Amino acid sequence: MAEGRSSIIISIFSTGSGIGKTITAINLAAGLAKEGYAICLVDLDLQFGDIVKYLKLEPKYTIADANADFKNDAEHFNVKDYLTDYHYKGKGGEIRFSVLAPPRMIYDAYRIDVDVVENLIMQLNYFDFIVLDLSAVFSTLNVAMLDMSTIINFLGVIDFLPSVKNFKIGYDTLVRFEYEGSKIRLVENRANSQKLIDGRDVERLLGETFFHRLPNDFPSVNKSILEGCPLMFVAPDAPLTKSFMELSGEYTARPNSNQLNPATPAEPQGFFTKFFDIFGN
Amino acid sequence: MAYRVILIEKNKAMHDELNETLKKSPDFEVMATYSEVNAALGQSGMHNPSLFLVDVDDPEVVDMLPAFVDIYPGVMILGMLSTWNPDMAQRAVGYGILGCIKKPFRTSDILEAIEVYKKRGGTGAPYTIAFFSPKGRAGRTTLAALLALTLAKKTNESVALIDADLQFGDLPIFFDIEPQHTVVDAVHDLKMLMPVSLAPYFHVITKNVGLLSSPDRPEYAELVDAEGLLGLVQMAGHLFKYVFIDLPAGFNPLSVAVTNFADVNFVVAMINTGLEIEHVKRSMALFDMRKVQRNKCWPIFTRVNPCTPDKKMQLEMQLGYPIAEIFPNEYNLVSVANSGQILQGVPSDTLMMRTIDELAERIIRREL
Repeated sequence: MAEGRSSIIISIFSTGSGIGKTITAINLAAGLAKEGYAICLVDLDLQFGDIVKYLKLEPKYTIADANADFKNDAEHFNVKDYLTDYHYKGKGGEIRFSVLAPPRMIYDAYRIDVDVVENLIMQLNYFDFIVLDLSAVFSTLNVAMLDMSTIINFLGVIDFLPSVKNFKIGYDTLVRFEYEGSKIRLVENRANSQKLIDGRDVERLLGETFFHRLPNDFPSVNKSILEGCPLMFVAPDAPLTKSFMELSGEYTARPNSNQLNPATPAEPQGFFTKFFDIFGN
Repeated sequence: MAYRVILIEKNKAMHDELNETLKKSPDFEVMATYSEVNAALGQSGMHNPSLFLVDVDDPEVVDMLPAFVDIYPGVMILGMLSTWNPDMAQRAVGYGILGCIKKPFRTSDILEAIEVYKKRGGTGAPYTIAFFSPKGRAGRTTLAALLALTLAKKTNESVALIDADLQFGDLPIFFDIEPQHTVVDAVHDLKMLMPVSLAPYFHVITKNVGLLSSPDRPEYAELVDAEGLLGLVQMAGHLFKYVFIDLPAGFNPLSVAVTNFADVNFVVAMINTGLEIEHVKRSMALFDMRKVQRNKCWPIFTRVNPCTPDKKMQLEMQLGYPIAEIFPNEYNLVSVANSGQILQGVPSDTLMMRTIDELAERIIRREL
């Protein structure tokens, strides 16, 4: 790899599932790809990842194969061999990006090593951006990925009190991880849907403003799932599509390396080891 | 009126100590003591006892318990253990005794145990239901809470809600409570506890529904392992006739251990994009593979529209497994849960609550 070159890693994380992580990851990847960047989208919801189904891909290899082969023969391992290409040409233009697919069987998810995944992500550094679609839990894997990330898009839907509580708990936990403030970007999904809770109240509760708001548009999202392609092709004029474009635009300005500093891979960490001091040992 | 006690204890020293303790209390009248269980079984009728205190350290004595329950109906039986032994206690309670206490005891321990165990509302083995979901936002917690309240009301038996979604448990918010104790405390203290001393860890939701909350910080989740959680679930079964466990989403050591143990597992998913059916299918396939008997894992779909028998059949065809129940969307629920008013509940004339009612009936009839 070229000296000083490293990918920008953007993770999509939340503390509740079914709130649009996968849709955000796909459309963020698509938006960045549209601007000509080399993108790899990694589905790290190892048990129930939907990216492959969503994009109607038929991957030859998955992260489970990569994990096994890496452990078998790390020297001759090349992560490129395990990626699936996504290509779509439509009225809105043409995009291409790579996908690292999740295991086919839940059983295989168990066998995946966090340090192997860290290695895979590091080997993907020939991409401009790596977009990580995580699962909604603080697991060893997710914490390792959050550590590696340049940016954490912490996504929330705040229509329901338990969701607000979990959003707050998740945010407070991320803050306790002592990530730089600028690394965590709060993104509100379905921001304009009819609901009983005001986003501004949530901002007051968190003591932090939303970096971005995505409007609600279930029909367009549904259409995009049915078609198996990003929103820009099925609903080019929808406010949600435009909002995703704005979000990817936020990350492509790439003015100087200070603002989006590629993350230095952290020391391998145990799940929550950084908290052990609170228990007095 | 004093309890008319029959003491059955083989160990001479222990027998004498317990007998002395009982004799000092005006609340107990020792009618007879036995070192041999067979003698006690044959002769106790002569003494018209109201309470048996039976040594259940000895497996042979435990094997005789069904005979005691049969011959002396209505007479309370407390098993005595020198240390907590979940398997032995489980067997003893399964045979229909009131519960277990630790020996040696103070007489106040017996009175407390009787009071606590009577609240269980029914004898016999507990019935454990795990609420599993592949992903979150499935309606899992709502279902567990509504079903617990309904079942407790219908049966007058008690229901425990254990919030094992340790990182993001929502049950305290549903009931608008600030828990004094959590699953983490209970598991931590478990080695020092007996069922009676576990009881105060549960927050009293209604007279026969108790909630053991999740901790308020995700990192505390690490302090609970599968063995600890299972120990807690087993002990809770001595206090509650039904034990509901709200699991974290997906397969992890906790959800795997609890679904292996439970009598029934509900696999809950909310219909949204349609991909959820695939998630349930994958989960059911894994349950099959893990030899968790297929007939104890039941899919449940929430927010099904239209919520009709035809739709249920269609979903069953897609899924390839029979479905326990489908639930409609219930708009009231969001505001009910938002305001911590789940106890006041959803109007009973809604399809949602009628379906909950039906599911409770099937649980009571042990049809699942």
